[in-house]
Amino acid sequence: MHGHGHFESRTKAAAIRLVLIPAVLVSLLAGVAGGLVRAGVTLPAVSAEWFDHAVLGHAFLMICTFMGTVIGIERAVAVKEPLAFAAPLASGLAGLLYLAGALHAAAWLALAAAAAFVAVNVLVVARQRAAHTALLLMGALAWLAGNGLFVADTASSAVIPWWFSFLVLTIAAERLEMTRLMRRRQGASQALYGVLAMHLLACAVSSVSPRWGGLLYGASLVGLAVWLLRFDIARRTVSAHGLSRYMAVCLLLGYFWLAISGVAWCLTSQGAAAARDTALHALSLGFVFSMVLGHAPVILPAIARVKLLFGWAFYVPLAMLHGSLAVRLVSHWLNLDWLATGAAGNALAIALFAATVAASALAWRARYFTSARSHDDAATAP
Amino acid sequence: MTAAKTTPAYPYEGPQAMRGPVEEALQRVVDPEVAMTIVDVGLVYGVSVTDERLHVLLTMTSAACPVTDLIVEEVETELERIAPPAMRVDVELVWEPAWSSDRMSPRAKAFMGW
Repeated sequence: MHGHGHFESRTKAAAIRLVLIPAVLVSLLAGVAGGLVRAGVTLPAVSAEWFDHAVLGHAFLMICTFMGTVIGIERAVAVKEPLAFAAPLASGLAGLLYLAGALHAAAWLALAAAAAFVAVNVLVVARQRAAHTALLLMGALAWLAGNGLFVADTASSAVIPWWFSFLVLTIAAERLEMTRLMRRRQGASQALYGVLAMHLLACAVSSVSPRWGGLLYGASLVGLAVWLLRFDIARRTVSAHGLSRYMAVCLLLGYFWLAISGVAWCLTSQGAAAARDTALHALSLGFVFSMVLGHAPVILPAIARVKLLFGWAFYVPLAMLHGSLAVRLVSHWLNLDWLATGAAGNALAIALFAATVAASALAWRARYFTSARSHDDAATAP
Repeated sequence: MTAAKTTPAYPYEGPQAMRGPVEEALQRVVDPEVAMTIVDVGLVYGVSVTDERLHVLLTMTSAACPVTDLIVEEVETELERIAPPAMRVDVELVWEPAWSSDRMSPRAKAFMGW
Protein backbone atom coordinates (compact mmCIF):
# COMPACT_ATOMS: atom_id res chain seq x y z
CA MET A 1 0.00 0.00 0.00
CA HIS A 2 2.84 2.33 0.87
CA GLY A 3 4.63 1.49 -2.35
CA HIS A 4 1.47 2.37 -4.22
CA GLY A 5 1.22 5.67 -2.34
CA HIS A 6 4.80 6.55 -3.21
CA PHE A 7 4.19 5.65 -6.83
CA GLU A 8 1.18 7.94 -6.86
CA SER A 9 3.06 10.82 -5.28
CA ARG A 10 5.92 10.33 -7.77
CA THR A 11 3.51 10.45 -10.72
CA LYS A 12 1.97 13.56 -9.22
CA ALA A 13 5.42 15.08 -8.77
CA ALA A 14 6.22 14.33 -12.42
CA ALA A 15 3.00 16.05 -13.51
CA ILE A 16 3.85 19.06 -11.35
CA ARG A 17 7.36 19.21 -12.81
CA LEU A 18 6.18 18.92 -16.41
CA VAL A 19 3.06 21.09 -16.40
CA LEU A 20 2.88 23.41 -13.41
CA ILE A 21 6.53 24.30 -12.83
CA PRO A 22 7.02 25.55 -16.44
CA ALA A 23 3.90 27.74 -16.05
CA VAL A 24 5.24 29.03 -12.73
CA LEU A 25 8.60 29.84 -14.32
CA VAL A 26 7.00 31.69 -17.25
CA SER A 27 5.05 33.88 -14.82
CA LEU A 28 8.15 34.48 -12.73
CA LEU A 29 10.38 35.36 -15.69
CA ALA A 30 7.80 37.60 -17.33
CA GLY A 31 6.87 39.19 -14.01
CA VAL A 32 10.50 39.94 -13.17
CA ALA A 33 11.15 41.31 -16.69
CA GLY A 34 8.09 43.54 -16.35
CA GLY A 35 9.29 44.72 -12.95
CA LEU A 36 12.75 45.57 -14.32
CA VAL A 37 11.26 47.75 -17.06
CA ARG A 38 9.07 49.51 -14.49
CA ALA A 39 12.15 50.25 -12.41
CA GLY A 40 13.87 51.77 -15.44
CA VAL A 41 16.24 48.96 -16.36
CA THR A 42 17.00 48.92 -20.07
CA LEU A 43 16.50 45.40 -21.34
CA PRO A 44 17.69 44.17 -24.74
CA ALA A 45 15.09 45.47 -27.19
CA VAL A 46 12.13 43.16 -26.86
CA SER A 47 9.31 44.36 -29.03
CA ALA A 48 7.06 41.35 -28.56
CA GLU A 49 3.52 42.05 -27.49
CA TRP A 50 3.72 39.72 -24.50
CA PHE A 51 6.41 41.96 -23.12
CA ASP A 52 4.02 44.93 -22.89
CA HIS A 53 1.62 42.71 -20.98
CA ALA A 54 4.42 41.63 -18.65
CA VAL A 55 5.10 45.27 -17.81
CA LEU A 56 1.42 46.09 -17.40
CA GLY A 57 0.62 42.95 -15.42
CA HIS A 58 3.71 42.83 -13.15
CA ALA A 59 1.68 42.60 -9.91
CA PHE A 60 -0.84 40.13 -11.38
CA LEU A 61 1.96 37.88 -12.65
CA MET A 62 4.04 37.98 -9.48
CA ILE A 63 1.24 37.66 -6.92
CA CYS A 64 -1.54 35.72 -8.65
CA THR A 65 0.07 33.56 -11.29
CA PHE A 66 3.51 33.02 -9.73
CA MET A 67 2.98 33.05 -5.95
CA GLY A 68 -0.68 32.00 -6.25
CA THR A 69 0.32 28.96 -8.30
CA VAL A 70 3.21 28.05 -5.99
CA ILE A 71 0.98 28.30 -2.91
CA GLY A 72 -1.78 26.41 -4.73
CA ILE A 73 0.59 23.54 -5.54
CA GLU A 74 1.87 23.51 -1.96
CA ARG A 75 -1.64 23.25 -0.52
CA ALA A 76 -2.75 20.64 -3.08
CA VAL A 77 0.24 18.46 -2.18
CA ALA A 78 -0.70 18.82 1.49
CA VAL A 79 -4.37 17.83 1.12
CA LYS A 80 -3.60 14.95 -1.30
CA GLU A 81 -6.72 15.50 -3.39
CA PRO A 82 -6.12 15.44 -7.16
CA LEU A 83 -8.95 17.96 -7.66
CA ALA A 84 -7.10 20.46 -5.48
CA PHE A 85 -4.62 20.87 -8.34
CA ALA A 86 -7.39 22.65 -10.30
CA ALA A 87 -6.50 25.85 -8.41
CA PRO A 88 -2.79 26.06 -9.38
CA LEU A 89 -3.59 24.75 -12.86
CA ALA A 90 -6.06 27.59 -13.39
CA SER A 91 -3.79 30.29 -11.94
CA GLY A 92 -0.79 29.00 -13.90
CA LEU A 93 -2.81 29.06 -17.12
CA ALA A 94 -4.10 32.53 -16.25
CA GLY A 95 -0.50 33.78 -16.39
CA LEU A 96 0.01 32.35 -19.87
CA LEU A 97 -3.32 33.79 -21.06
CA TYR A 98 -2.42 37.20 -19.70
CA LEU A 99 0.90 37.23 -21.52
CA ALA A 100 -0.87 36.08 -24.70
CA GLY A 101 -3.03 39.19 -24.45
CA ALA A 102 -6.27 37.61 -23.26
CA LEU A 103 -6.32 39.94 -20.25
CA HIS A 104 -9.97 39.58 -19.40
CA ALA A 105 -10.02 35.79 -19.73
CA ALA A 106 -6.89 35.66 -17.55
CA ALA A 107 -8.56 37.73 -14.85
CA TRP A 108 -11.62 35.47 -14.88
CA LEU A 109 -9.49 32.35 -14.77
CA ALA A 110 -7.57 33.77 -11.80
CA LEU A 111 -10.90 34.37 -10.09
CA ALA A 112 -11.84 30.74 -10.72
CA ALA A 113 -8.44 29.68 -9.37
CA ALA A 114 -9.01 31.64 -6.17
CA ALA A 115 -12.51 30.14 -5.81
CA ALA A 116 -11.07 26.63 -6.17
CA PHE A 117 -8.35 27.55 -3.70
CA VAL A 118 -10.98 28.70 -1.19
CA ALA A 119 -12.66 25.29 -1.54
CA VAL A 120 -9.35 23.52 -0.88
CA ASN A 121 -8.88 25.58 2.28
CA VAL A 122 -12.42 24.84 3.46
CA LEU A 123 -11.35 21.19 3.27
CA VAL A 124 -8.21 21.96 5.28
CA VAL A 125 -10.31 23.66 7.98
CA ALA A 126 -12.75 20.73 8.01
CA ARG A 127 -9.82 18.36 8.61
CA GLN A 128 -8.18 20.47 11.28
CA ARG A 129 -10.13 23.16 13.09
CA ALA A 130 -7.42 25.45 14.35
CA ALA A 131 -6.55 29.12 14.32
CA HIS A 132 -3.85 28.65 11.70
CA THR A 133 -6.08 26.74 9.26
CA ALA A 134 -8.82 29.37 9.67
CA LEU A 135 -6.19 31.98 8.83
CA LEU A 136 -5.14 30.05 5.70
CA LEU A 137 -8.79 30.17 4.61
CA MET A 138 -8.92 33.91 5.27
CA GLY A 139 -5.86 34.31 3.07
CA ALA A 140 -7.62 32.41 0.27
CA LEU A 141 -10.71 34.61 0.70
CA ALA A 142 -8.54 37.74 0.47
CA TRP A 143 -7.17 36.44 -2.84
CA LEU A 144 -10.72 35.81 -4.05
CA ALA A 145 -11.73 39.35 -3.08
CA GLY A 146 -8.70 40.83 -4.86
CA ASN A 147 -9.30 38.79 -7.99
CA GLY A 148 -12.99 39.73 -7.95
CA LEU A 149 -12.07 43.42 -7.86
CA PHE A 150 -9.49 42.79 -10.60
CA VAL A 151 -12.12 41.24 -12.87
CA ALA A 152 -14.34 44.24 -12.19
CA ASP A 153 -11.44 46.47 -13.33
CA THR A 154 -11.29 48.30 -10.00
CA ALA A 155 -8.44 50.73 -9.28
CA SER A 156 -5.20 49.03 -8.28
CA SER A 157 -5.28 50.91 -4.96
CA ALA A 158 -8.26 48.68 -4.08
CA VAL A 159 -6.93 45.42 -5.58
CA ILE A 160 -3.31 45.44 -4.37
CA PRO A 161 -4.08 45.43 -0.62
CA TRP A 162 -6.21 42.27 -1.01
CA TRP A 163 -3.58 40.56 -3.16
CA PHE A 164 -0.84 41.27 -0.65
CA SER A 165 -3.19 40.28 2.11
CA PHE A 166 -3.45 36.82 0.51
CA LEU A 167 0.32 36.41 0.87
CA VAL A 168 0.60 38.08 4.28
CA LEU A 169 -2.23 36.02 5.83
CA THR A 170 -0.91 32.79 4.31
CA ILE A 171 2.56 33.40 5.72
CA ALA A 172 1.12 34.55 9.07
CA ALA A 173 -0.91 31.33 9.26
CA GLU A 174 2.11 29.17 8.62
CA ARG A 175 4.14 31.04 11.22
CA LEU A 176 1.25 30.93 13.73
CA GLU A 177 1.33 27.15 13.46
CA MET A 178 5.05 27.21 14.33
CA THR A 179 4.63 29.59 17.27
CA ARG A 180 2.70 26.81 19.00
CA LEU A 181 6.13 25.43 19.90
CA MET A 182 6.84 28.57 21.92
CA ARG A 183 5.34 29.29 25.31
CA ARG A 184 2.53 31.68 24.57
CA ARG A 185 2.32 34.71 26.80
CA GLN A 186 -1.04 35.83 28.10
CA GLY A 187 -2.88 37.83 25.47
CA ALA A 188 -0.53 36.95 22.60
CA SER A 189 -3.26 35.26 20.53
CA GLN A 190 -5.67 38.11 21.15
CA ALA A 191 -3.02 40.60 20.06
CA LEU A 192 -2.54 38.71 16.79
CA TYR A 193 -6.27 38.47 16.11
CA GLY A 194 -6.56 42.21 16.77
CA VAL A 195 -3.78 42.96 14.28
CA LEU A 196 -5.31 40.67 11.66
CA ALA A 197 -8.81 42.13 12.14
CA MET A 198 -7.27 45.56 11.58
CA HIS A 199 -5.54 44.18 8.48
CA LEU A 200 -8.78 42.91 6.93
CA LEU A 201 -10.58 46.12 7.82
CA ALA A 202 -7.74 48.02 6.13
CA CYS A 203 -8.20 45.99 2.92
CA ALA A 204 -11.89 46.86 2.84
CA VAL A 205 -11.37 50.53 3.73
CA SER A 206 -8.69 50.88 1.01
CA SER A 207 -11.43 50.47 -1.62
CA VAL A 208 -13.24 53.58 -0.40
CA SER A 209 -10.49 55.63 1.21
CA PRO A 210 -6.90 54.89 0.20
CA ARG A 211 -5.82 57.52 2.76
CA TRP A 212 -7.35 55.80 5.80
CA GLY A 213 -7.11 52.32 4.38
CA GLY A 214 -3.41 52.71 3.67
CA LEU A 215 -2.76 54.04 7.17
CA LEU A 216 -4.54 51.09 8.78
CA TYR A 217 -2.89 48.65 6.38
CA GLY A 218 0.56 49.95 7.23
CA ALA A 219 -0.16 49.88 10.96
CA SER A 220 -1.35 46.26 10.69
CA LEU A 221 1.85 45.25 8.89
CA VAL A 222 3.98 46.89 11.60
CA GLY A 223 1.86 45.15 14.25
CA LEU A 224 2.30 41.79 12.54
CA ALA A 225 6.05 42.29 12.21
CA VAL A 226 6.36 43.09 15.92
CA TRP A 227 4.24 40.05 16.82
CA LEU A 228 6.29 37.73 14.62
CA LEU A 229 9.61 39.07 15.90
CA ARG A 230 8.37 38.53 19.44
CA PHE A 231 6.71 35.12 19.14
CA ASP A 232 8.12 33.27 16.13
CA ILE A 233 10.41 30.28 16.72
CA ALA A 234 12.94 31.89 14.33
CA ARG A 235 14.42 33.76 17.29
CA ARG A 236 15.25 30.35 18.76
CA THR A 237 16.09 28.36 15.63
CA VAL A 238 18.55 31.02 14.48
CA SER A 239 20.87 29.60 17.13
CA ALA A 240 20.71 26.15 15.47
CA HIS A 241 22.91 25.42 12.46
CA GLY A 242 22.71 24.49 8.78
CA LEU A 243 19.37 24.70 7.04
CA SER A 244 17.47 25.55 10.24
CA ARG A 245 19.59 28.61 10.90
CA TYR A 246 19.40 29.70 7.25
CA MET A 247 15.60 29.49 7.36
CA ALA A 248 15.53 31.52 10.58
CA VAL A 249 17.77 34.20 9.04
CA CYS A 250 15.38 34.42 6.05
CA LEU A 251 12.43 34.78 8.42
CA LEU A 252 13.99 37.42 10.68
CA LEU A 253 15.15 39.54 7.72
CA GLY A 254 11.65 39.18 6.31
CA TYR A 255 10.08 40.50 9.53
CA PHE A 256 12.41 43.49 9.47
CA TRP A 257 11.27 44.40 5.93
CA LEU A 258 7.65 43.75 6.86
CA ALA A 259 7.91 46.48 9.49
CA ILE A 260 9.65 48.84 7.04
CA SER A 261 6.92 48.19 4.48
CA GLY A 262 4.26 48.96 7.09
CA VAL A 263 5.81 52.34 7.87
CA ALA A 264 6.17 53.07 4.14
CA TRP A 265 2.56 52.06 3.53
CA CYS A 266 1.46 54.63 6.16
CA LEU A 267 3.65 57.33 4.59
CA THR A 268 2.42 56.57 1.07
CA SER A 269 -1.20 56.82 2.18
CA GLN A 270 -0.46 60.31 3.50
CA GLY A 271 0.94 61.45 0.17
CA ALA A 272 4.67 60.57 0.33
CA ALA A 273 5.00 59.18 -3.21
CA ALA A 274 8.68 58.34 -2.66
CA ALA A 275 7.65 55.70 -0.09
CA ARG A 276 5.41 53.76 -2.50
CA ASP A 277 8.17 51.55 -3.94
CA THR A 278 9.21 50.71 -0.36
CA ALA A 279 5.63 49.89 0.68
CA LEU A 280 5.27 47.47 -2.23
CA HIS A 281 8.75 45.98 -2.54
CA ALA A 282 9.90 45.79 1.07
CA LEU A 283 6.78 43.63 1.39
CA SER A 284 7.06 41.59 -1.82
CA LEU A 285 10.84 41.19 -2.08
CA GLY A 286 11.97 41.75 1.51
CA PHE A 287 9.23 39.77 3.23
CA VAL A 288 7.60 37.40 0.72
CA PHE A 289 10.66 36.51 -1.37
CA SER A 290 12.76 36.06 1.73
CA MET A 291 10.18 33.45 2.83
CA VAL A 292 10.40 31.83 -0.60
CA LEU A 293 14.20 31.63 -0.40
CA GLY A 294 13.98 30.24 3.11
CA HIS A 295 11.40 27.58 2.39
CA ALA A 296 12.29 26.45 -1.12
CA PRO A 297 14.96 24.02 0.18
CA VAL A 298 12.27 22.12 2.13
CA ILE A 299 9.25 22.71 -0.12
CA LEU A 300 10.86 21.83 -3.47
CA PRO A 301 11.77 18.30 -2.35
CA ALA A 302 8.16 17.88 -1.19
CA ILE A 303 6.41 19.11 -4.32
CA ALA A 304 8.82 18.27 -7.12
CA ARG A 305 10.69 15.33 -5.57
CA VAL A 306 13.98 17.09 -6.14
CA LYS A 307 16.38 16.58 -3.26
CA LEU A 308 18.75 19.42 -2.41
CA LEU A 309 22.01 19.40 -0.53
CA PHE A 310 22.00 22.47 1.68
CA GLY A 311 25.21 24.48 1.93
CA TRP A 312 26.53 27.96 2.74
CA ALA A 313 26.05 28.96 -0.93
CA PHE A 314 22.37 29.59 -0.15
CA TYR A 315 23.42 32.69 1.79
CA VAL A 316 24.80 34.31 -1.39
CA PRO A 317 21.46 34.94 -3.16
CA LEU A 318 19.92 35.84 0.21
CA ALA A 319 22.55 38.52 0.83
CA MET A 320 22.14 39.71 -2.76
CA LEU A 321 18.36 39.98 -2.36
CA HIS A 322 18.45 42.00 0.84
CA GLY A 323 21.45 44.10 -0.15
CA SER A 324 20.03 45.05 -3.53
CA LEU A 325 16.65 45.77 -1.96
CA ALA A 326 18.30 48.22 0.43
CA VAL A 327 20.03 49.93 -2.52
CA ARG A 328 16.76 50.06 -4.42
CA LEU A 329 14.76 51.55 -1.56
CA VAL A 330 17.23 54.18 -0.41
CA SER A 331 17.51 55.34 -4.04
CA HIS A 332 14.23 57.23 -3.62
CA TRP A 333 15.83 59.43 -0.99
CA LEU A 334 19.47 59.56 -2.02
CA ASN A 335 19.92 59.03 -5.75
CA LEU A 336 17.26 57.82 -8.15
CA ASP A 337 19.92 56.44 -10.48
CA TRP A 338 20.36 53.60 -8.01
CA LEU A 339 16.79 52.41 -8.48
CA ALA A 340 17.53 50.50 -11.68
CA THR A 341 20.75 49.11 -10.20
CA GLY A 342 18.89 47.88 -7.12
CA ALA A 343 16.11 46.34 -9.21
CA ALA A 344 18.66 44.60 -11.42
CA GLY A 345 20.25 43.27 -8.23
CA ASN A 346 16.85 41.96 -7.09
CA ALA A 347 16.46 40.05 -10.36
CA LEU A 348 20.04 38.81 -10.16
CA ALA A 349 19.37 37.52 -6.63
CA ILE A 350 16.44 35.47 -7.93
CA ALA A 351 18.56 34.12 -10.79
CA LEU A 352 21.40 33.31 -8.37
CA PHE A 353 18.94 31.52 -6.14
CA ALA A 354 17.68 29.42 -9.05
CA ALA A 355 21.30 28.55 -9.92
CA THR A 356 22.01 27.66 -6.27
CA VAL A 357 18.98 25.37 -6.16
CA ALA A 358 20.06 23.67 -9.40
CA ALA A 359 23.64 23.24 -8.15
CA SER A 360 22.47 21.89 -4.79
CA ALA A 361 20.22 19.36 -6.56
CA LEU A 362 23.23 18.18 -8.58
CA ALA A 363 25.35 18.11 -5.43
CA TRP A 364 22.75 15.91 -3.74
CA ARG A 365 22.70 13.53 -6.70
CA ALA A 366 26.48 13.38 -6.78
CA ARG A 367 26.62 12.55 -3.09
CA TYR A 368 23.68 10.14 -3.20
CA PHE A 369 24.91 8.17 -6.21
CA THR A 370 28.47 8.09 -4.91
CA SER A 371 27.39 6.75 -1.53
CA ALA A 372 24.94 4.31 -3.16
CA ARG A 373 27.76 3.01 -5.36
CA SER A 374 30.24 2.68 -2.51
CA HIS A 375 27.48 0.98 -0.51
CA ASP A 376 27.00 -1.52 -3.36
CA ASP A 377 30.74 -2.01 -3.60
CA ALA A 378 30.86 -2.75 0.10
CA ALA A 379 27.92 -5.12 -0.20
CA THR A 380 29.51 -7.09 -3.05
CA ALA A 381 32.97 -7.11 -1.50
CA PRO A 382 34.09 -10.60 -0.43
CA MET B 1 21.59 16.49 18.84
CA THR B 2 22.47 13.24 20.58
CA ALA B 3 19.84 10.61 21.31
CA ALA B 4 17.97 11.14 24.55
CA LYS B 5 18.63 8.58 27.22
CA THR B 6 15.50 9.50 29.16
CA THR B 7 12.28 7.50 28.85
CA PRO B 8 10.86 7.77 25.36
CA ALA B 9 7.96 10.19 25.03
CA TYR B 10 5.74 7.55 23.42
CA PRO B 11 4.37 4.12 24.35
CA TYR B 12 6.53 1.25 23.13
CA GLU B 13 5.43 -2.37 22.75
CA GLY B 14 7.79 -5.06 21.62
CA PRO B 15 11.16 -6.67 22.30
CA GLN B 16 13.51 -4.60 24.47
CA ALA B 17 16.38 -5.31 22.06
CA MET B 18 14.66 -3.21 19.38
CA ARG B 19 13.78 -0.32 21.63
CA GLY B 20 17.12 1.47 21.51
CA PRO B 21 17.68 1.13 17.75
CA VAL B 22 14.11 2.32 17.01
CA GLU B 23 14.54 5.34 19.28
CA GLU B 24 17.86 6.21 17.65
CA ALA B 25 16.40 5.83 14.15
CA LEU B 26 13.50 8.13 15.01
CA GLN B 27 15.92 10.63 16.58
CA ARG B 28 17.70 10.86 13.22
CA VAL B 29 14.62 12.40 11.58
CA VAL B 30 14.87 16.15 12.03
CA ASP B 31 12.30 18.75 11.02
CA PRO B 32 14.57 21.52 9.68
CA GLU B 33 11.90 24.17 10.20
CA VAL B 34 12.01 23.71 13.98
CA ALA B 35 15.59 22.36 14.19
CA MET B 36 14.47 19.45 16.35
CA THR B 37 13.93 15.71 15.95
CA ILE B 38 10.40 14.37 15.51
CA VAL B 39 10.77 12.64 18.88
CA ASP B 40 11.60 15.90 20.67
CA VAL B 41 8.72 17.74 19.01
CA GLY B 42 6.45 14.91 20.20
CA LEU B 43 5.23 13.76 16.80
CA VAL B 44 5.70 10.05 17.58
CA TYR B 45 2.52 8.72 19.21
CA GLY B 46 3.52 5.09 19.62
CA VAL B 47 5.68 2.22 18.40
CA SER B 48 4.83 -1.48 18.36
CA VAL B 49 7.22 -4.15 17.15
CA THR B 50 6.43 -7.76 16.33
CA ASP B 51 8.55 -10.26 14.39
CA GLU B 52 7.00 -9.26 11.09
CA ARG B 53 5.96 -5.64 11.61
CA LEU B 54 7.42 -2.38 12.94
CA HIS B 55 4.43 -0.09 13.34
CA VAL B 56 4.82 3.63 14.11
CA LEU B 57 2.02 6.08 14.81
CA LEU B 58 3.07 9.55 13.70
CA THR B 59 1.30 12.90 13.72
CA MET B 60 2.04 16.31 12.21
CA THR B 61 1.47 19.72 13.74
CA SER B 62 -0.54 20.84 10.71
CA ALA B 63 -2.90 19.19 8.23
CA ALA B 64 -1.78 21.81 5.70
CA CYS B 65 1.87 20.77 5.77
CA PRO B 66 3.20 19.86 2.31
CA VAL B 67 6.31 18.24 3.79
CA THR B 68 4.34 15.46 5.53
CA ASP B 69 5.06 12.81 2.88
CA LEU B 70 8.78 13.54 3.00
CA ILE B 71 8.94 13.18 6.77
CA VAL B 72 6.97 9.90 6.63
CA GLU B 73 9.35 8.62 3.95
CA GLU B 74 12.38 9.65 5.97
CA VAL B 75 11.01 7.81 9.02
CA GLU B 76 10.46 4.71 6.86
CA THR B 77 13.97 4.93 5.43
CA GLU B 78 15.58 5.28 8.86
CA LEU B 79 13.54 2.41 10.31
CA GLU B 80 14.21 0.14 7.33
CA ARG B 81 17.93 0.56 8.03
CA ILE B 82 17.57 -0.95 11.52
CA ALA B 83 14.71 -3.42 10.92
CA PRO B 84 15.58 -7.09 10.19
CA PRO B 85 14.84 -8.02 6.54
CA ALA B 86 11.68 -9.96 7.41
CA MET B 87 10.19 -7.05 9.34
CA ARG B 88 7.80 -4.75 7.47
CA VAL B 89 8.04 -1.04 8.37
CA ASP B 90 4.65 0.57 8.60
CA VAL B 91 4.36 4.29 9.39
CA GLU B 92 0.80 5.38 10.02
CA LEU B 93 -0.18 9.05 10.05
CA VAL B 94 -2.77 9.90 12.73
CA TRP B 95 -4.51 13.16 13.64
CA GLU B 96 -6.17 12.12 16.90
CA PRO B 97 -5.41 13.22 19.52
CA ALA B 98 -4.32 16.50 18.00
CA TRP B 99 -0.70 17.48 18.69
CA SER B 100 -0.16 20.04 21.43
CA SER B 101 2.92 21.59 22.98
CA ASP B 102 2.42 19.30 26.04
CA ARG B 103 3.98 16.58 23.90
CA MET B 104 7.30 18.38 23.52
CA SER B 105 10.28 16.84 25.32
CA PRO B 106 11.95 18.79 28.16
CA ARG B 107 14.89 19.37 25.82
CA ALA B 108 12.60 20.75 23.11
CA LYS B 109 10.95 23.07 25.61
CA ALA B 110 14.32 24.26 26.85
CA PHE B 111 15.41 24.97 23.25
CA MET B 112 12.24 26.98 22.63
CA GLY B 113 12.77 28.96 25.83
CA TRP B 114 9.94 27.56 28.02
